[in-house]
Amino acid sequence: MAMQDFPLAMGAAPAAGSGQAVSADEIIAEIKREIGEHKILVYGKGTKDQPMCGFTIETKQFFEQLGYPFEILNVLDNPAKRQVLTQMTDWPTLPKVFINGEFYGDTDILGPMQEKGELTALLAEAFK
Amino acid sequence: MWLMITADELTSYIRSAMPDADVTVVDRTGTLDHFTVAVVSDAFKGVNPLDRHRMVYKALEAPRSDGRIHALELKTETRS
Repeated sequence: MAMQDFPLAMGAAPAAGSGQAVSADEIIAEIKREIGEHKILVYGKGTKDQPMCGFTIETKQFFEQLGYPFEILNVLDNPAKRQVLTQMTDWPTLPKVFINGEFYGDTDILGPMQEKGELTALLAEAFK
Repeated sequence: MWLMITADELTSYIRSAMPDADVTVVDRTGTLDHFTVAVVSDAFKGVNPLDRHRMVYKALEAPRSDGRIHALELKTETRS
């Protein structure tokens, strides 16, 4: 029960961004810090309070019914970070979900994992 | 500008990478740019779900990057 959204800037140079000169290494360090801070972390379009894409909303609802704490970080207006995330994960779409620091794709992957009981086990281990 | 792709075109992009693929395409919105796609192929045997999806994304790289496919819900399975 998942959908994806293809970032329009995919494959484009990050130069079209906000003009901040942030190196890819700094962005990678930021992402590693963020995925270390949240056991369930979603990079999406919009925030938890104000999701701005149907697929980010769907991912939010997916994790709400699981009952564990999670965070959504908005990368909609940060094409440089989106590009680094895409390269790190070899995954072209948003949202992107990390659990316990590992990349798990999106709800297309997590939905079947939940049906098989694999996600429950993974989250129980992550939050024990 | 309204970009779109037909189910047949989408299917042939996938079959160019996975010739045996059975592809089911559902147009979610009636606008031929938001799809649910189910792919059944022996090429997925022994391949984990993340890599199965990567295979399909790569097969659809052209229509994704030019905007003909805006959104995609994807299911990947092997023949039972």
